[in-house]
Amino acid sequence: MGECVLVVDDDREIVKAIAILLEGEGYQVLRAYDGLQALDLLSSHPVRLVLIDVMMPKLDGLSALMRIRERQNIPVIILSAKGEDSDKVLGLSMGADDYVAKPYNPQELAARVKSHLRRYTSLGDIHTRSRESEIVNGRLCYKTDERVLYADGEAVRLTATETKIVDLFMRNLGRVFPAEEIYRRVWEEEAFASENTVMVHIRRIREKLELNPKEPEYIKVVWGIGYKMEKQEKSN
Amino acid sequence: MDTKWKNRKKAISFLIFFLGVSLTLGGLAGIIKNKPGRIRLWQADQLFEGDYQQSYRFQEYITGRFWSLLSMATGYNLESICGYNGYGSYYRSFGGYEDNDWSDQLYVYEEELEIYRENLENMQDNYEDMLETLEEMQEGGSGGDAENYSWEVENYRAEIEAYKDEMEAYRAEMENYRKETGIYRDDAGSDQTEEKSAAFDQKKKEIAQKYHDWIKGDKNLIYSVSYDGKELYANSDHIKADSEMTAPEGYNFLLYFDGEEVRIVKDGKELELYGDGYYREESDWQEGGGWYVPGYRNFPVSETMKKAKIILAAAEEPVLYMEGYGNGGSGQYDNSLYWMNYNCQTNQILLKKDALYLALGIALLFLAFFTRKNRWEASGNIAGVQAKIWVELKGLLLLGMLYLIFWIIRTSNLQEGWWQELTEIYFSDYYYYSGESLRNFGEQILQNTHPAAWVLLFWTGWLIWNDLRYNKKIRKSSFTGKLYQAYSTKSIAWPLARRMANRSRILLAAAACYVLLMLVMAVQWCSGYRSTIALALLAFSGTAGFLVLAYLTGKKNVETARDMDTLTDCIGEIRNGNYTEVGERFSGHDLENAMAQLEDIRHGLEEAVAEQMRSQRMKVELIANVSHDIKTPLTSIISYVQFLKQEEGLPEHIKDYVRILDQKSQRLKNMVQDVFAVSKAASGELPMHMEALDFGKLLCQTLADMEEQIEGSEVSFRTELPRIPVMIMADGQRMYRVFQNLFQNAIQYSLPGSRVYVSLKTDGTMAVASVKNASRMEIDKEKDFAERFARGDQSRTDGGSGLGLSIAQSFTEACGGEFSWETDADLFVVKVSFGVIVDDQKHFSAV
Repeated sequence: MGECVLVVDDDREIVKAIAILLEGEGYQVLRAYDGLQALDLLSSHPVRLVLIDVMMPKLDGLSALMRIRERQNIPVIILSAKGEDSDKVLGLSMGADDYVAKPYNPQELAARVKSHLRRYTSLGDIHTRSRESEIVNGRLCYKTDERVLYADGEAVRLTATETKIVDLFMRNLGRVFPAEEIYRRVWEEEAFASENTVMVHIRRIREKLELNPKEPEYIKVVWGIGYKMEKQEKSN
Repeated sequence: MDTKWKNRKKAISFLIFFLGVSLTLGGLAGIIKNKPGRIRLWQADQLFEGDYQQSYRFQEYITGRFWSLLSMATGYNLESICGYNGYGSYYRSFGGYEDNDWSDQLYVYEEELEIYRENLENMQDNYEDMLETLEEMQEGGSGGDAENYSWEVENYRAEIEAYKDEMEAYRAEMENYRKETGIYRDDAGSDQTEEKSAAFDQKKKEIAQKYHDWIKGDKNLIYSVSYDGKELYANSDHIKADSEMTAPEGYNFLLYFDGEEVRIVKDGKELELYGDGYYREESDWQEGGGWYVPGYRNFPVSETMKKAKIILAAAEEPVLYMEGYGNGGSGQYDNSLYWMNYNCQTNQILLKKDALYLALGIALLFLAFFTRKNRWEASGNIAGVQAKIWVELKGLLLLGMLYLIFWIIRTSNLQEGWWQELTEIYFSDYYYYSGESLRNFGEQILQNTHPAAWVLLFWTGWLIWNDLRYNKKIRKSSFTGKLYQAYSTKSIAWPLARRMANRSRILLAAAACYVLLMLVMAVQWCSGYRSTIALALLAFSGTAGFLVLAYLTGKKNVETARDMDTLTDCIGEIRNGNYTEVGERFSGHDLENAMAQLEDIRHGLEEAVAEQMRSQRMKVELIANVSHDIKTPLTSIISYVQFLKQEEGLPEHIKDYVRILDQKSQRLKNMVQDVFAVSKAASGELPMHMEALDFGKLLCQTLADMEEQIEGSEVSFRTELPRIPVMIMADGQRMYRVFQNLFQNAIQYSLPGSRVYVSLKTDGTMAVASVKNASRMEIDKEKDFAERFARGDQSRTDGGSGLGLSIAQSFTEACGGEFSWETDADLFVVKVSFGVIVDDQKHFSAV
């Protein structure tokens, strides 16, 4: 039997849909329809991950999240119809590990659950084995001596050029590189019409390591300036 | 009932205070005024004795009489020793002085004789000169016109003869005069000294006798004068000039001079006359000073005096001595002592009355101390009445009161002549007054002035003090203030232009009057009326008045100008969308109305804007809520459609249905997000992250990002971008959305096979990006494309939400840029323009 995942939402159809989705992935799914119920189930079952809605009767998602955080350190993903940046910031600062806006993409949701669980269970605390030769950023880990990028502990297959770009980004987390500079440093040629070339490679890298390539979390475009690897605040 | 009693109490308490103060002050001033001169205020025991012999005047009188008698004894010229004409104003109306021009006449005669002599000498000199001239004429006459000349000589000779006669006549006249006056003195003049001095002695004796005749009738002062053991003059048999110093009954003052020193016995007691034995000049004229008699160590008697013995006695209660004439009339003797005593007794009555007033006043003041609370209320009431009086009227009353007091002081001092002295103190350049004499001068004023003046002065002061104490705003009830207020209330209804014009007119008229006044002044000055005080006063007050008026007008104008500035600033603020209250009201100013109206406008705008914001926010909230409510079921739809898609073994047509469901649910999802975004952007609640970015690069990145989409479409893109960076201030994420939408529109609505032109142009200050494409369909010229849900065709069957342009416009404007579009036939052109950040370094590198 797979790990136990708790899904909390007052919309029973959504809970059911998520349950089908996750059971298809091999997880055991517990269902709750309000915050109190969720807390009950948490105390009686060995839950490894919580998917929780914000707007619920009896006890809302953020309050439930605070209660959970008092006792447990399991991954919590908020699932909400509020998709504004401010809502995301609020949820994450309250202690959530991830924030998925409705309507969600089922595949993306499944991928996120998988990612969080793997990091929580199989990898354990990533900092304990952190070494000089490793650069860790969120769910990414780049081993500089091997020149291999791991996402959620799994090696990402990259071409030589893509590896060069990832190498540049991982060594300079948060720094913005204009396309010309990336071109010069990766291709080692004078930049000409570099924008498209760089963009094509970045899109491909994204498809390989982002959970949702349309809304990238790691490799971002800084519009009108260049590209960067976003430095993740929560890196456990 | 209660209030009536209370009012009565107040009135009574104030009356007590009033009478107390008035009587105390009046009594005190009266005592100072009427007290005998040599007695000080605190010597209360002597104050009411009523002894006229204590007075300074008595001392003066007795010493004067002593010196006169001494002169009579020694044969000195009486007048030259006594040296005073009259006994002072005190006696003037009663005593008077006898005609003594015989004494002066002696000198007049001699002086006239001297003049005669001098004239005669001059005449003689002239005569001799004339003779000399005649001789010269006769000697030099041979050469000239003989006939004419001899006639002239004859003429001159006759003239000389006439002059000689005249001279003789004058000499005779002089001799005549000399005989008449009995002065035997001529040019030779020294041999007849004895004869002359004998005549002088004779004259002196006559004068002494005359003086004796004049004073002997007044038996209030009896005397005996002897010289060389022989009694010369005496007006009483009961008194002898010897050291026994016996006086008849009724005479309590005795003065005896034995040729060495003076002794005075009063009421049987001998007075200490000489003090430390030195005479000081100031003690003579100072009140209460020493006796001006010989016998001091520094004031010894002369040889001639030593043979003289004088005794005089003054009556205790003098009576009036008269002399009856044969025709039934009568004449009074000297009687100085009688009148002195009479005045002293009269003064005593006055003094007692004053003392009574003082005592009564002090008692009342004591009483007033216990009723002070009622009195304070009464003072308050009085102040209330005072507050209603115009301040100008009060000033006039004060001036009148001060003049009245001044007048009283002046009239009661006029006889003493202090008024002249006062004017001399202040207006004379060479009159020197020491502090000491000023003090005496003050005492003199105190003694002479009627007590009513001081009482009046006190109450005037009290009224002013009361007014100042209770009525803090004295200017409140001023006539000019009321006039000005009435003018202001009337003028506030006038338009501003008229008000300002009126103000200028008033100032102009005042200036004209002032110039006229100054011209009159100048004319007066030139014609010599320099010392007209009234004119100077008029000029001064005219200048002051004009300056005040000019200042006030200027102040008002400056105030209005400042208000205009403030008003302009306010308008500017409102125009810039700052609706915070200004707070200034300009009450009473020229622009009060304008400000109030602007305030109304501001308030209205503020309300309208607030209302608009509120409704906008409500709309956004509504949309947010609705979109949340849509999202929840949408989530289920998308999820289950996904499961359906993964279902295997479905018939082909079912799979087709599921595909359609998938497509439309995705589109619904996009639409909900777009609607939410656009409504937020329109209400200005979109959080913005502004930063400096390269406009050209932004376009490149967007194109690169959409490369797959572009390549998959039937149109191709042509770009025209500058090599150098074009920096603008914007939110990159939002601007990406703007161009994404624009490019998507271009891809979607362009004629297949046509080209989309993307260009960026800058003139250094503005950067304009334009997207041009040829429309697939005919463009409706009337259509507002940025209107929400507007699109090229009305059918709404294609994939867009219809919000593309709307979002583009909202986001651009939220970033501070300008968004516009135009159509030319089937050409559709969208322009997005931003202000370029002027960066010196960048500018430099571009050059």
